[in-house]
Amino acid sequence: MIQAIFYKERIKTFWYSLLALLTSVGFAGYCMLRVWRVCELKGVEHLWIVMMQKDVIFVDMLQFVPLFIGLALAVVQFEPEMQRKSFKLTLHLPIRATKALCAMLLYGVAVLLVVFLPAIALMWGYLHTVLAPELWQHILLTTVPWYLAGIATYLLTAWVSLEPTWSRRIVDAIMSLMLIRLFFLTTTPEAYNGFLPHLTVLTAAFSLLSMLSLTRFRDGRQD
Amino acid sequence: MENVIECRNLTHYYGKRLIYEDLSFNVPRGRILGLLGKNGTGKTTTINILSGFLQPRSGECYILGEKIGQMNPLTRRRIGLLIEGHVQYQFMTIEQIERFYSAFYPEWKREAYYELMSRLKVAPHQKINRMSCGQRSQVALGLILAQDPEVLVLDDFSLGLDPGYRRLFVDYLREYAKAENKTVFLTSHIIQDMERLVDDCIIMDYGRILIQMPVEELLGKFRRYTGSVGDGFNPHFDATIYNPAVLRSTLEAYSMEDEQSVRAKLTAAGVQDIVAERVSLEDAFIGLTGKY
Repeated sequence: MIQAIFYKERIKTFWYSLLALLTSVGFAGYCMLRVWRVCELKGVEHLWIVMMQKDVIFVDMLQFVPLFIGLALAVVQFEPEMQRKSFKLTLHLPIRATKALCAMLLYGVAVLLVVFLPAIALMWGYLHTVLAPELWQHILLTTVPWYLAGIATYLLTAWVSLEPTWSRRIVDAIMSLMLIRLFFLTTTPEAYNGFLPHLTVLTAAFSLLSMLSLTRFRDGRQD
Repeated sequence: MENVIECRNLTHYYGKRLIYEDLSFNVPRGRILGLLGKNGTGKTTTINILSGFLQPRSGECYILGEKIGQMNPLTRRRIGLLIEGHVQYQFMTIEQIERFYSAFYPEWKREAYYELMSRLKVAPHQKINRMSCGQRSQVALGLILAQDPEVLVLDDFSLGLDPGYRRLFVDYLREYAKAENKTVFLTSHIIQDMERLVDDCIIMDYGRILIQMPVEELLGKFRRYTGSVGDGFNPHFDATIYNPAVLRSTLEAYSMEDEQSVRAKLTAAGVQDIVAERVSLEDAFIGLTGKY
């Protein structure tokens, strides 16, 4: 039955997932192209010096890409369920509603991992050939909160999308914006290193918020 | 007879607006019960409570002996649900939706679904969002037939359907329900369809049930009375005469009392040339609830 839920989610998100993968890998690839160009024009030594002296990481343009990918995935996945309240069909399936919703969220997070990991692998694949471990780790660790923000945005958008009333949706959306802000408090590279475990736990906790929307939906809350 | 659906003392409000109070009804096994009421009397509210998508302010409902809200998820295999407007997953094709649902129902009857789909003259890979409302209704019905549930809960099944599709839906459903001894609870705003389909009816007015009885019994007892009245006639009758109204010196009233007694009451009030007629279910509904 869980596989059938995954099948339904795949039908909704297949084309978007491909687009998201291309976007994610495309942006990461473009950033690597910029690094390669610096290496070709000014040499690897220059790259190292710029990174160490000016704290440049060359992947700044990736900052909000995972966020938008996560946001759009949640919209693509959950808005069809809310159209004409067809989420009722999912809740009428002979499976616990929380289990069905967990399967839907798990699918979404898995898609995001499939979309984000190749981009990270691509960056690591190139960077570790031209940079010392400290430097490529510096870049990749700086991107971790951005990718976590992508997953967090997905989970928060799911929470907002599944909320049955518009008034509460607006409140939830404002709260989501404030929570997402936590992932972008500073642009200083590796500023989040010590906070990453907490950020990961916080991101995982956002999945529980969708359960609140589910409960409100089942109680028949209306505007 | 065993009750498959039992609702006891349901009370519900939207905000401060009372929808109904202490509503109780049962649906015995093998019966088709239609819930009739004007817009806003709580038909969809009742369906939502029965489907577990609305928590009533008070009261409780049971389907197949299990309290809704605490129902074992597997019991939902035995309950078919049609959401108002034949809502189905719009993003799926005919094939995909069949494949999806079949995973949840061990007794899934694939052939029942495809038999109905073969009448639609649509390609198996056609998406549901590109179908007409009538075609979507057949997809929804086909899925319910394939699920083969013991109980069917159908919310306004005639919404958006043209007469042909309505007739097809009603005939298919009635034949299926009777042949397989299914219990059906349904609503529709088109009462002619109900007359062909339901065994029992509940007629609701704002906040209460007016009657609950077999349709045959209702139509056997219910009469429309017309008669001539003088100018300025002001109709005042007891509660056994429903919705008396005068239009151009003609009184129209409805009653379930025996004909002799009603004629006596009307004659005593000054009504002449009294004619009593049998009525359709729609007329009985209008007679009980009024035109406004």
